This record gives sequence, structure tokens and C-alpha cells, in this order.
Amino acid sequence: MSKATDVSPPARRSEFMLLAGNALGATRKALTHNPTTLVGTIIFLLIVVLAILAPLIAPYDPVAQRIVNRLQGPSWAHWLGTDYYGRDILSRLLHGARYSLMIGIASITLAVIIGSLIGLVAGYFGGRIDIVIMQIMDVVLAFPALILGIILVAVLGASVTNIIIAIAFTAVPAFARIARAPVMVLREREFVQAGRALGFSDLRIMFRHILPNIVPEIIVMASLWMATAVRTEASLAFIGLGIAPPTPTWGGMVREGFENILDSYSVALFPSLAVLVLVLALNLIGDGLRDAIDPKLAKNA
Amino acid sequence: MTIRKLKLYSAAAALLAGLGVHAATAQTLNVAVPGNDMATLDPHRASATLDKNVINWMFNGLVRTAPGQFSLDTIEPDLAESWTISEDGLTWTFALRQDVSCQGDYGPLTAKDVVYSLKRAASPETSSYAGDYAAFEEITALDDHTVEIKLANAIPTVLGLLVPFNGGSIICEAAGEALGENFGRNPVGTGPFAFAEYQSQQYVRLIANEKYFRGAPQIKEILFRYLGSDSSRDLAFQSGEVDLVNGRFEESWLNRTAQLPDTTVQVLGPYELHQLHLNMSQPPLDDIRVRQAIAHAVDRAGLVAFRGEMLTREATSVIPSGYLGHEPQDLPEYDPEKARALLAEAGYPDGIDLKTVQTTLPAMLTTMEVVQAQLAEAGIRLNFELVDHPTFHAQIREDLSQVVYYGAARLPVADIFLTQFFDSRSIVQTPTAVTNFSHCDVGDADITAARTELDPEKQKALWADAQRKIVEALCAVPLYEMGQPYAWNNKVQFAYPLAGSLNLSPMIDETTRLAN
Repeated sequence: MSKATDVSPPARRSEFMLLAGNALGATRKALTHNPTTLVGTIIFLLIVVLAILAPLIAPYDPVAQRIVNRLQGPSWAHWLGTDYYGRDILSRLLHGARYSLMIGIASITLAVIIGSLIGLVAGYFGGRIDIVIMQIMDVVLAFPALILGIILVAVLGASVTNIIIAIAFTAVPAFARIARAPVMVLREREFVQAGRALGFSDLRIMFRHILPNIVPEIIVMASLWMATAVRTEASLAFIGLGIAPPTPTWGGMVREGFENILDSYSVALFPSLAVLVLVLALNLIGDGLRDAIDPKLAKNA
Repeated sequence: MTIRKLKLYSAAAALLAGLGVHAATAQTLNVAVPGNDMATLDPHRASATLDKNVINWMFNGLVRTAPGQFSLDTIEPDLAESWTISEDGLTWTFALRQDVSCQGDYGPLTAKDVVYSLKRAASPETSSYAGDYAAFEEITALDDHTVEIKLANAIPTVLGLLVPFNGGSIICEAAGEALGENFGRNPVGTGPFAFAEYQSQQYVRLIANEKYFRGAPQIKEILFRYLGSDSSRDLAFQSGEVDLVNGRFEESWLNRTAQLPDTTVQVLGPYELHQLHLNMSQPPLDDIRVRQAIAHAVDRAGLVAFRGEMLTREATSVIPSGYLGHEPQDLPEYDPEKARALLAEAGYPDGIDLKTVQTTLPAMLTTMEVVQAQLAEAGIRLNFELVDHPTFHAQIREDLSQVVYYGAARLPVADIFLTQFFDSRSIVQTPTAVTNFSHCDVGDADITAARTELDPEKQKALWADAQRKIVEALCAVPLYEMGQPYAWNNKVQFAYPLAGSLNLSPMIDETTRLAN
């Protein structure tokens, strides 16, 4: 007993290292092998840096209204123009990026954790547990993500936390599925059988021996779903289920811009472009990562 | 093969020809309004502007304001042919027209129906405007076509309560009884247009009442469409899909729309008074210094600049200007520094957070976003809870909003507006509730005394006192008065000049034409 407790701390560290190592390995491979992934990553990191620095670099207060300056086109004073209330669009975009990223990252992290656990349990134990869990996941998956998001946000109320929960909920089944399939294959592999023969607990086998092997797949999925999360958040805000005004969100800005599109194009155009660029960057990263971990493509290269 | 083809072609040709004929004779007026859905079309219940807009074309009153007009000076006979007043002014006898029939199969309109309808309007169970009719002591049918109304005391306007607006719209007894709670979804009136169909969040369809007593309407159908998005509505109007549009509450819209070919743009009255009602029953708004801070943080001139001077003017009192008994008041000056100081004095040096339930209706939400920014400068954080318009109307009546932003026009008499918004009997969540969102009671004595005061000068003085007390207690912070921006294709031809209508939509009746 005492011996086991002595050994466990270094074992845990190596477990984490193993996970991180796998993830880093896949990322490095993707970046070196695929130039578009590099472009996507640079754009994404740029957006992250701009969002973090927003309070320092934004030229104006994102919620300060100046009615006399409303609905102006791009100018030297306002690089991307002003909105319906005379607020600076560039400043609002920079601040809005924080909400888009925060909601995207938080909701997908939540979905990854919950979804992977569900997939791991379903795939590892199989049988009835698997059938019940995956049937439930299929039901959730049958709803289009946006519709499910609308229902949840409408019921829970529109706040940052609720929007994160709603988007995470829509993504959970995807991660459960992506985790379950490789687990079912790994379950029958020799090293798992060996672990069983040695009397390792199910938990130990699941988390220490199987989880590290499915991490790359999950990371690919996470980057692709993060793009979806950003889009879902923007769509919810566009239909009025976003964070309440005056908080700047990209979807909310597109909505406002749409209402004034006959007076000024810039209010709708720039936030739409921002959503486009972020989603594109995330998709480039996701595609690159997928190629990097795909053994078939690796051989061809 | 060829014969079959021929048949197909001829069938298609016949179909096209049929469509063509249909299009030429179709007298469908397409109306679009900024909103998402209907709440109720029961005239004794409806409080949303969009609902009143439709009710306007379906109902009659005993009397009416002249078509196209909304001033009570223009009152003329409607369902009643004539009326007499007793010497003490307390007994009113109306002789009804004999050629009026209820829409659908509900038979001719008689004095019994009028009695039923007025009693329905006076009962809190069936009416949101029961308070207006409190002085109607006895309503009786003397014979099939004579109605007598006995008043408990003199009131500022009797005829004003009998125009087809709110409780004054006459409902046929058979229809009211048969439909019961469902009346709001299947309204039956006596007016030029009858309810035909309602599609949730899409439209209300009205058809011409061919038996209308002033003659069959020339327009055969009205499609009242809910197009909440400003841009969609504008584009629908520009493309000719919509003939009559309630536009954006903005000067730039008026200017831009006026440039369109064959289009008439007009701001219709009466101007609605928009104010913030502050819920004095809850902290921190129970502290008058906090309410004063809000009043000093609001920049009325800025709001008028935002909406445009063609459409809005600064508020001058807690009732709209031009109403009988209106008296301009000294409203708190815009002074954010003073507002901050007042908040600090009240124990909130770091500002306060207030919750407000807010409709997503663009015309109202945009104003509140400006107010939100103005208040923020004084450290007052207004947190929105966004809901659709019918939910907004429901929730503000459940005391769920600390600050209620409400725009309203009523009969142009001080009594009605003061009673509904500031008399303690009208406080929301009480049995006699109307729209007193602030729990205001400081003007009670004056409002009550003025209601039965026979001397017009003394009555005006009482109303002025009530306004002064309400302004001083800051039950509400008046913002601005705003008209209704409308545009229509010149195909739509009104037989009379339009000044506006109490129900805030242009009057469409048997004389209105759609020229092709």
C-alpha cells in the first residue's frame, strides 16, 4: 500500500506528459507539414492577441455613444466607421473578439471533457451501457445545433454562462462519438488485455492507457467544432439571443448592421468578415491537424 | 403524346389567364408593421399599438372622431344617429341606427348589444380599461334602438369614452358570449373589415364586410403583416410587396422613403408620450434621490436629436402636450454630475444596477440603448432583459421591471392618462390594475377631485397640481413625444386628409381605394 502511494505522483505527471506530448506532437507535425495550417494558426493567434490587448489598443470606448457621428463610413478617425449609435466599429470588433473566443473556447473545452468521458465509458464498457448512452447521444445529435442552441438559450436566458452551456451541450454528442470509436478498437488491443491480466482497475486502463491514444482525434475535432461554436454564438446573437446590449458581440453587431444596411454598409460588413476570418482560421487548423494524424495521408506524403 | 401535351398547355394557359384576372381584380391591401406577433385583438383588452392598429378597421363606437382625425372636437355620429343629454348632464340617451349588423352570422346590432358591450368594457374581469367607465352607473336599453347611460357624477368626457377606441369599441353580445375567452383571437365587430385569419408571427387577414352599414368597402382584403426587421420591411415596401408601411422611427427613414417614386410619407398623430416609469416600491428606487439622479442623467435633447425633430419633440410633462388639462412642467435639467452627487448622497458612490425588461421592438430598444448609455455616464447601469413584445407587455404588468419604458397616447383628456398611469388604483398587480408601473400615488387626491369638478378652471388647476406633484415625486421621467411614421404607395387613396387616428394606424374604411 505505502509503496503504491510513493509511486503514484511521478506516474501522474508522466500521464499528463503523455497526453501533452501526443497533442504537441500532432500539432508540430501539422504545422511543419502543411503551410495552410501555419497560416490558420498565425491568424488565430493574431486574433487571440488582439482580443487580449483590446482594452489597450482599441481607439475608443466600445460602448461610448456619440449620436452626432452615427452611421459613418470608414475614415481616419474611425477606421471601420461607426454604428447606429455613433460607436466605433473597430473598437467594438476588438472587444467583441474576446466574447467570441471566450465563448468558443469555454464551450468546446466543456464539451470535450464531458463528451470524451461519455464516449470513453460507452466504448470501454460496451454492451447495454453503450447502447443506452449512444442512443441518447443520437437523439441530441438529431437536432440541428442551432435549433438546440436556440431552445436552450431561450429556456435558460441569454447570459454568457448559459450560452456556453447551450453550445457545449450541442457539441457533446460529437465528442462522445469521436471518443467512442477508437476506444472500442483499443479495448481489444494486446496492451489493454495485458493491463487487465495484471489486474489494473478499469479507471486506470481508461485514463492512463486508452485516453492518451485518442487525444489526437479529439483535438482535431475540437478545433473544427470551435469554428462551429463561434458560428453558433454569432447566429444566436444575430437572432437576438446573444448577450444583452450594450456588450459588443460580433453576431449582435451583424444584426444591428443588417437593420441599418440601407444607410451604411460597414456596420454589417466588418463584423461578418471578422466571423469569416476566425472560422476560416479554425477550419484551416483543424484540417491540417486531421491530415497530420491520418496515417493514410502520412504515407502518401 | 401531342394531344396530351396540348391539353397540358391549354390547362396551363387557362390557369395563367385565371391568375391574371384574379390579380387585376384583387383588392388586397398589404400592410407591414414593425413587430413580431399579435397579443390580442379584443378591443377591451388590447394595449399593444400593433393590436390597436388592426382593431381600428373592425369596430365602431356609438360616436367616432371624423375619419382621418383624432381630435375629440371632430366627434360625429357612428352607431348612434343622435343623442340627447339631460339638464344635469348625467343622463345621456342615444338613438341607434337600425341598419347595423354584426359581422359573421351574429345578426343585427340592437341596444342590447351596446349595453352588453359597455358593461363588458366597464368590468375589470373582461376589460383593461374598466377604470375609465367607473362613473357609468347604469346602462340600459330603453327599446331595441335606444340606449340610456346614467352617470354617477360628471366626468371630463362622456363622448370620448364612446368612440371606437379601447372600451368604446362595440362588441355584439352573441359574439362576445359565444366566443368568450377566444374573442381576442376571433374578434367580431360591426366595422368595414372583418377578421378572417391569423397566422402566428406572420399576419392577420381581414376581409371586407360586404354588409357594412355605410356600404361595402372597395378594398376586399387587408393583409396585416408582422415584419419585425426594419430592413426587411423597407425592402418589401420598396419592391411593392407592401402598400402601406409603418416605418422606422427615424428622420433618415422619412427622408429616404420620401425619395421613392409614387410614395407618400407622413407622420401621423397623436404623438405618443414616452417615459421611464420608476418602480418606487422597491429599493433602490424607493429613495427619491436615486430617482432624481436618473432624471438628471437623462438628456431629452439628445434623445430628440437621435430620433429626429420631424418625428419627435421633447416631453414637457407626465401627460402628452395638447391634452385637455396639460400644463408644461419644470422637468429636471440634464446634469450627469449632479446625478452622480445625488447617488453618492443616497449611499451609492459606485453607482447602481437596475433591471429592466425590454422589448426587442427596434423602435423601443434603440431608444433604450441610448438611455442606457446616458444613464451609464452617471453610474447608473441599466441591465436589459430582452424579450419579445407580447412578453414585455405581460412582464411589466407583473412588476418584474424596475424601470419600465412605455410610450402611450390615450384619449386627449388629462384625466384618462393621469388615472391610468399615476392613480394608485391603477397600480399593476392589483385588482383594478391598469398601467401604473411606478406605484405612484402622490396625485391621487387631485386626480380624483378633478374627475368630478364641474368648474373647468378649477378642474384644470387640479390637473396641473397633479402633474406638478408627479413630476416632483419622479414617478416617471418623461423623455419625448413621438408620432407614427407611415409611408404608402400612391395606389392607396384615402377619401379624406389624414391627421392620424387614436388607434395609431391610418383609417381604412369603405371609402379607401386601391387604384390599379
